[in-house]
Amino acid sequence: MLKSLDPRVNRLNIPLEEAAHAQKNKLDQFETYEVFVQTKEDKPFEHVGIVHAPNEEMAFLFAKEQYTRRGMFCISLCVIKTENIRVSDYSENQKDIYDTFEGKYSGKTTYSFEVFHLIKRGKQHKYEGNVQAKNFEDALLAARDTYPRNKPVLNVWVVKSEDIFVSDEEDQDLWDTLQEKKYRDAIDYRAADKIKAFKEKQHEH
Amino acid sequence: MYGGGNVFERMKATALVDEDPRKLAEFEARIERGEKIEPKDWMPQLYRKQLIRMIEQHAHSEIIGALPEGTWITRAPGFKRKLALMAKVQDEVGHAQLLYAAAETLGKSREKMIDDLITGKSKYSNIFNYPAFTWADSCFISWLVDAGAIVNQLANAKGSYGPYCRALERICAEESFHLKYGHHCVIHMATGSKKQREMMQAAINRWWPPMMHFFGPSDTISVHSEILMKWKVKMASNDACRQQFLDMYVPKIWELGLTIPDKNLQKNNETGQWEYTEPDWDEFKRVINGDGPCNKERLAVRRTAEERGRWVREALLAPKTKYITPLA
Amino acid sequence: MNTEAIKELVYKMADDLLILGHRNSEWTGFGPLLEEDIAFSSMAQDKVGQSWQMYKILHELGDSEPDTVAFMRNANQFHNAQFVELPNGEYDFSLIRHFLFDSAALLRYQMLTESSYTPLANLTKKIKGEAKYHSMHAKIWMKQLGSATEESIQRLQNALDEAMPYALGLFEPSPYEAHLIKDKIFAGEEALQILWQKEVESIIEETQLILPDWNSLIPALGGRNGQHTEHLQPLLDEMSEVFKVDPSADW
Repeated sequence: MLKSLDPRVNRLNIPLEEAAHAQKNKLDQFETYEVFVQTKEDKPFEHVGIVHAPNEEMAFLFAKEQYTRRGMFCISLCVIKTENIRVSDYSENQKDIYDTFEGKYSGKTTYSFEVFHLIKRGKQHKYEGNVQAKNFEDALLAARDTYPRNKPVLNVWVVKSEDIFVSDEEDQDLWDTLQEKKYRDAIDYRAADKIKAFKEKQHEH
Repeated sequence: MYGGGNVFERMKATALVDEDPRKLAEFEARIERGEKIEPKDWMPQLYRKQLIRMIEQHAHSEIIGALPEGTWITRAPGFKRKLALMAKVQDEVGHAQLLYAAAETLGKSREKMIDDLITGKSKYSNIFNYPAFTWADSCFISWLVDAGAIVNQLANAKGSYGPYCRALERICAEESFHLKYGHHCVIHMATGSKKQREMMQAAINRWWPPMMHFFGPSDTISVHSEILMKWKVKMASNDACRQQFLDMYVPKIWELGLTIPDKNLQKNNETGQWEYTEPDWDEFKRVINGDGPCNKERLAVRRTAEERGRWVREALLAPKTKYITPLA
Repeated sequence: MNTEAIKELVYKMADDLLILGHRNSEWTGFGPLLEEDIAFSSMAQDKVGQSWQMYKILHELGDSEPDTVAFMRNANQFHNAQFVELPNGEYDFSLIRHFLFDSAALLRYQMLTESSYTPLANLTKKIKGEAKYHSMHAKIWMKQLGSATEESIQRLQNALDEAMPYALGLFEPSPYEAHLIKDKIFAGEEALQILWQKEVESIIEETQLILPDWNSLIPALGGRNGQHTEHLQPLLDEMSEVFKVDPSADW
């Protein structure tokens, strides 16, 4: 058995042979979900990253701890399966990607879509709003005609509203945390007094 | 936590020959302007390859880096330390997840990366191949290894690839907790009882040589590294990171009355540079190539976790699901 | 109020949380997938954090500092159910224990938010969001793995069969049940167990697992009185290894 300084590893009882082989014999890759977080009532949902998960319920469970475990920065969370998001091209920083779209919005309300914008390269996509359209292409045109664009939009994500898995209002208490959770934050570790006292004591000697 | 000393792929002289010169010029101009590259943008193959390799190594370093400190997770003294160490090691696993995700946007799946880690095909930061003998070792890691990582990560966060920079921003925010927590632990050890002080000093003596290895050997100036710098893949030289680390942390170690086991270590006031005994680079190479005190254990634990978790993943994996590359 | 009765109640809750939180923290870095590794660690932290708050209540009632209480007692002074001290085993057992324990914890907290003992009512109100997540997490996992592959179903079934008698030990009645109920401090273990059995049945029904006949089970009792399995003392020795190097030191 593998001997370790970590008692947890010793309890895993890893035979030395197993340690040497045990190659993964097939890839068990899950699909990914894009995760969006809302930090305050008056702020839009913002993309924070992805999780790997087999379905949206689990994606939600995972996203909650991976992206919002320091609870005070979240009031709501949503996950969207990556393949359900339609992505536009990216434009140059000063150009608006909507200007490259040709065609006329149908005005049809077959489906409801949610729209996310990227304003600057290197930043995250933010929620812009909801449009009605007959398909994804149409939704992009609807978005083009709907939103005022003070700053050029570099990239647009569009997703059917029904493909969004979002936390219920009544689940806001999931992010209520104890004051004592401060142990996860830098602010909880002040020790300047201790150094000062130590130095003074050394000085005396 | 991650140091320098990236093992970049060797570049062939012809590597850029096949690239479209107009697109290459646009790409380089965008980086020059300080704009980020996003996943769907055109990029040279070499850029993609080197980034995958670098981010992947960084991710591996996080997941393996959870193990030396994890050694003390069940033994942390008192509630506050117990909770903090649990949260800290958890953060490292979280960082691995974020970094794998950033690398995935370049087209390599996470499972493939993990596979390359556990079959020994790709590397991780060398320092995690050393053992954490006592609680004080875990304090050293939390403070100083993380401090080293922050030097490196803050530099990389100014790089050119959007998803990597975003991941690093989140990571650096969490690292500030690690750094303060680690410093807090070391301060308590150093200003505590005789026994605590001795433990802390012994840990520094053990960890100083790997710490000096952490940033990697001096970079050799080559066309290759020039291009990586120009493309903002590599953001600072190994020596520059090491100097910055020494500048920030040696005085903080000394002020606690602790010593550093290198009699040549001193700041040259004329050059402003730290002088030190040249680290043993033969040992560095030996350990990176698999012959360190814990290489075997680290990979064995990772493999075992993968192997024993397989039935769980298989059960979760519905046959209908299909993997596609994440967006950003 | 009957302080002895309150202490008995708070001690057993605190010790359960500390020991299970400790056990679950052993998974950090070894989990079956990265995201679950993170989620499981959060829940372990929540438990240890909750226990810390409960030891603070006990400190207010005149007992020693939380660190001393947690790190200096021997096994026979612990009031946790034997269930939480059992080794983690593989993920199947850890998951089943998480499900059985956290369903009970959430119900217990919900009952205690009504407690006439204010510190406990306040604390359980504050931590019920955490408990809600734990229970949500457990349910989703149970439903998923409990009806997935032949292997996962068989593994969970074995773990369930092994865990169930120990899980019943969570509801070992205290000598103060009548006082607690009369003073409206806590509605009692029996009431809790009835709710819990219903909850467990409703989740297991949605899986392909088979619940053992409640009447055939012999609960593993004694934990509340300090009678433990051979696993608790080594756990405590490990947990306090550094602390005991110098218990008066500031670590």
